[in-house]
Amino acid sequence: MAAWLVRRLAASIAIVWAVVTLTFVIVHLAHGSPCGQGDGRPVSPETCAALIRRFALDRPIGTQYVKYLGALLRGDLGESLALHRPVADALAEALPNTLTLALTALILDFALGVALGIYQAARERRFGDIALGNAALFVNSMPTFWLGLVLLLLLAQWLRLFPVGGLRDLVLCPRLDSLPCLADFAWHLTLPALTLGLVGAAGTARYQRAALLEVVRQDFVRTARAKGLPERRVLLVHALRNALLPLITLFGLTFPFLLTGAVLVETVFAWPGMGRLAVTAILQRDYPVVTAAALIASVMVVLGNLLADALYGVADPRIRVRAT
Amino acid sequence: MPTMRPTRRLTAAALAGLLLVAGCARKGGCTGDYCGTLVIATGGEPDVLLPAVSDRAITRDVTDQLFLKLADLGLSGNTVGDEDFQPLLAERWEWDTPTTLVFHLDPRARWEDGRAVTAADVAFTYDIYTDSLVSSPFRSALRHIAAVTTRDSLTVVFRFRQRYPEMFFDAVYHMRILPSHLLREVPRSQWRSAAFGRAPVGDGPYRFVAWRAGESLELSADSTFFLGRPHLRRLIWRFTPDQQVAVTQLIAGDADAVEVLVTPDNVQRACADAARLSCYPYKGSAYGYLGFNLAAPGDSTKPHPLFGDRELRRALFMTVDRGALLHNVFGDLAKVPPGPMSQLYWIWDPETRELPHDSARAARTLTRLGWTDSDGDGIRDRDAHPLAFRLLVPTTSAVRRQYARLLQEQFRTMGIDVQLDEVDFSVFNERVRGGRFDALINTWNTDPTPSSGISQSWTRAGFGRSNYGRYENPAFERLVDRAVASVASRAEAKRTWRAAIEILNQDAPAIFLFATENVAAVHKRVADVRIRPDAWSALVRTWRIPADRLTDRDRVER
Repeated sequence: MAAWLVRRLAASIAIVWAVVTLTFVIVHLAHGSPCGQGDGRPVSPETCAALIRRFALDRPIGTQYVKYLGALLRGDLGESLALHRPVADALAEALPNTLTLALTALILDFALGVALGIYQAARERRFGDIALGNAALFVNSMPTFWLGLVLLLLLAQWLRLFPVGGLRDLVLCPRLDSLPCLADFAWHLTLPALTLGLVGAAGTARYQRAALLEVVRQDFVRTARAKGLPERRVLLVHALRNALLPLITLFGLTFPFLLTGAVLVETVFAWPGMGRLAVTAILQRDYPVVTAAALIASVMVVLGNLLADALYGVADPRIRVRAT
Repeated sequence: MPTMRPTRRLTAAALAGLLLVAGCARKGGCTGDYCGTLVIATGGEPDVLLPAVSDRAITRDVTDQLFLKLADLGLSGNTVGDEDFQPLLAERWEWDTPTTLVFHLDPRARWEDGRAVTAADVAFTYDIYTDSLVSSPFRSALRHIAAVTTRDSLTVVFRFRQRYPEMFFDAVYHMRILPSHLLREVPRSQWRSAAFGRAPVGDGPYRFVAWRAGESLELSADSTFFLGRPHLRRLIWRFTPDQQVAVTQLIAGDADAVEVLVTPDNVQRACADAARLSCYPYKGSAYGYLGFNLAAPGDSTKPHPLFGDRELRRALFMTVDRGALLHNVFGDLAKVPPGPMSQLYWIWDPETRELPHDSARAARTLTRLGWTDSDGDGIRDRDAHPLAFRLLVPTTSAVRRQYARLLQEQFRTMGIDVQLDEVDFSVFNERVRGGRFDALINTWNTDPTPSSGISQSWTRAGFGRSNYGRYENPAFERLVDRAVASVASRAEAKRTWRAAIEILNQDAPAIFLFATENVAAVHKRVADVRIRPDAWSALVRTWRIPADRLTDRDRVER
């Protein structure tokens, strides 16, 4: 087990290094200059020259890369060219918001997806299964940002059931220090999390249905039924655990999807997270922030996959044995 | 009769309770004239709250509430002499000699930490704004000031290199006075990342409370402010990804004010909600144009194969129906400018002579120049070269992209092939600086005076800076220099400016497309809203919410 963990960790570090290196090279080679302002105006040539001097952007890319890696190994993510502050500070403010959104969406995705998948499998080829299957396909085909815009228009602008964006009520709840303010936060979180979670849930339901239908045709399920166990117990206790393995794979794949989806959803809902920070940084050619955002995202994805691998062992002892 | 299971009842009750709690505002206790809270939605976010190193509009809006100038423009927007300037830190001023200006500071002025604002702070501020290590964007605007010295703790002396009409404007408009005792130790090369810039200590009507990156920035009123206690107790800027989202938040009721409604559709929607919102039109500070690159792309030593020809540029100018384009894109929210100017400029004169929209004359000129459709493909050509060029547009501007498409169509009807290069703003910026374009659609945001903007963008002084198309005409520049330096009368200066602009218009280095007219929207409960066009929220300290219009959100204590 220890050897497996070391191998996986080494591979994970290599993946993160590759992502960071590729991002560094691509953003530095991309056309464009960091000498533009957030409000779409160029800075003066003198200010631009000072910026380039200060951040050594006129040095060869190899020199910049070595300097960057050295700083990274010391835990220094650098200073933002546009925000004029340490990148670590900017990320520390944005990351919790993105994680809150992504984890809420993940819970919604799997809770709803598994429930719908079970419901469909239990009613195979009946009206409920077919209707839900088509609806899931429809939702799963939607681009996340488009679904976000539709929900925003419908539920926030027209019906006024939810706020049109932001993290909280800025007047009444500047801090999350009371129950009403936590409820207000949840209220603001609903639409963005729903947008991210719904699309994922539609896909999860299809996986869950297929996995469960495969399992219910196996001998041990037939045996359970022959023993006279109620259908609900057969499905939820005996079949479901064995149908969860493909979902763990899906979990490993979903996490990156949620992080990338959050980039668009955060922009649509004015959610101050890492996605919005990264998009703004890309547009402004704020190299340190872009590279750091890619670093954090790759670490998240690698951790998600590690977690998925660990969960395989929990769900299926045979895998645990092989890993050792 | 169906009944709910206990667990389901519990869940439903919990959800209902949660929604009830979320929907309930906490009742607050503030009453009277100083309770208002204003939430301003905006499409931008400050980079740093240090006015010396940032010229973003949103930074200016916030820092105008935190740091005082010596004096500021009046509502007339006059920039010549000191007429209508309003005293702020300086309670009075006088001219010792024609080039020596003496300010007397108000002894009541205090920094937030209790220290008095002194003449040394003013001298320190000038030193910072003009230090090449700090690299302030306002440095060039202060180039005519030779020195700023202190006479005593409350008297400061400005000495100018020469006499000119806007000496007073230059002395007071660009600099927000900074606390020397808190900033003296900050290394000059690291001003942009100074901790002070994220938690500033000022002397203005409002004090810094909190800045949540990507989300909001909050200020609270200084109840002891020496020029009068601000009526609005709290100002909160709500940051959104762009101005359109900001308008959406205003219309949805999540914000109380926006600086500009951007599109005619937004104006219609917001201003139609007369029960909740009031609309305030004011002159915009932006103008947009299609600029020709008079030099060969990427090689400024050679003329552009097409736009080096003045007659061809004039023909292209006459091809474009600027009024129709403007109506299509802006409705009534802009005017066709009579030259390179925003509506803020006092030299705006609709009588200024320009080339007309005359497609027949344009067609005759093109034919005379040898550009005819010899192969019948709908595009004019000469010596086997089609009359074609590429138009550079940033994808970040919906207005400019819309203009680009409409212009492409108008040129096509004249047999001119225009291909659009739509690139993101960073690439646009890089290509424009390097001169790697045929033509571009650009926008300038101007300050209230033509003196700096026109020189930087349309004379040789702007080569390598803002004169991207490298237009030059010695006759034009002589008149600009004379207008800038004219100390006779404002009317005389205006006549000189007009003569200069007419020369530029005849050369057609650009097609001046629009000068914006802004409409701000503010919640109806806010009274005494006055907007100064060059800085829309500069007078927010005089806005108020009468006691009988306060809502629970205004009264709430935290």
